[in-house]
Amino acid sequence: MAVKHIMGNEIEDAASVTDKISLVDFSATWCGPCKMLDPVLRNVSDDLADTVEFYHIDVDENPEASSKFCIRGVPTMIVFHGGQEIDRMVGFKDRNALQTQLEGLAESKLTR
Amino acid sequence: MDFKTGLVGSSSSTDRELDLIIAGGGPAALSAALYAARYDIEHIVLESYQPGGQAALTALIENYPGIKTISGGDLVANMKEQAESWGAVFKMASVISAVPLKDRIQIKADSSTYMARSLIIATGAAPAKLGVTGEDKFYGRGVSYCATCDAPFFRNAHVLVVGGGDSAVKEALHLSEFVSELTLVHRRDKFRAEPYLAEKLLSCGNCNVMWNTTLKEIKGDEGVQSVILNTPEGEKELELDGVFMYVGRKPATEPFSKLVELNENGTVKTHEIVRTSKENAFAAGDVTDNELRQVVTAVSDGARAASAVFDMLQ
Repeated sequence: MAVKHIMGNEIEDAASVTDKISLVDFSATWCGPCKMLDPVLRNVSDDLADTVEFYHIDVDENPEASSKFCIRGVPTMIVFHGGQEIDRMVGFKDRNALQTQLEGLAESKLTR
Repeated sequence: MDFKTGLVGSSSSTDRELDLIIAGGGPAALSAALYAARYDIEHIVLESYQPGGQAALTALIENYPGIKTISGGDLVANMKEQAESWGAVFKMASVISAVPLKDRIQIKADSSTYMARSLIIATGAAPAKLGVTGEDKFYGRGVSYCATCDAPFFRNAHVLVVGGGDSAVKEALHLSEFVSELTLVHRRDKFRAEPYLAEKLLSCGNCNVMWNTTLKEIKGDEGVQSVILNTPEGEKELELDGVFMYVGRKPATEPFSKLVELNENGTVKTHEIVRTSKENAFAAGDVTDNELRQVVTAVSDGARAASAVFDMLQ
């Protein structure tokens, strides 16, 4: 699985998925921790392809969306399910921490 | 060096035996990696928590000898490139635990287990939290520990900076270029920061310093809207948009607590600068109890630690 690049007007669709949870990564090209997070997201998206959709959005290209979701720092990862924000993580996360967090969220939200 | 990289033992197919593991990704680890590679010590650097360490998040470094000014991100990227050019080997993995096993150290990192003849602990430190009401709730919604990362979100805004050391003042100066108004609160009546930095902040046009003042509470709705301060004149509410915290650092030493002696504040107890209570474990940079914590001291520690490992392995 890859991390899909989307624009602000696509967030709603991405967030409304119900058979998986969705992670939207708000980041910027000038942000060091965002660059460090990219390979982590790629790896975790491979491992959790069955339960999590991964999206990436550039805050500079999408200032209105950043404002709407009250993004005041990057990277910020918002996790959605069925259109609702269910978690928000700020700053760099290593692979273990991110994967554990997402597995827990997927287990609590998805009926198998 | 009579140990070769490879699969060993029957219990785990992921056990690898090496001469040296370097845990960390900041200047101390990068310097240790450069020296280890040049000493031809068989090693792996396990980069964890935050590649590049705290230095990578520093907007401008002006006190690294030989380089007038450079961004922290560029400096650590150069260090890594230099170490790699000498053969340093990096792997992105978080160290979960490190324990002594006979005369070796067993290191668990993510899904891999390593056996090493020596270890350099250079995992650095993360920003400490102040522990005030609202701090966790508004983290990422106006509360930040990284001006370099988040300053652009506060253009023409009013922000609060908490702290009085080098980091607080340096990052306040960076923030002042973005915001319309900056208030810095410090619990003492003078800065601990370098006088040059302190003077620069005191003469900054949009900066205001409140001495003998502490942050009590952060308030808001979706994001930060105001703070409650304890000032010498009593409690005061200040309307603003963001809060940047620089109130110390928490060393990332928990995985090593069963291997080496730690101080009460979590730093690794050291003697002869980089030696720990365990003879084949060394510590470098912000994890140590050495007083001065700068990029220049971290790289010095890293070099000393790699040199000590080289001597030990002979």
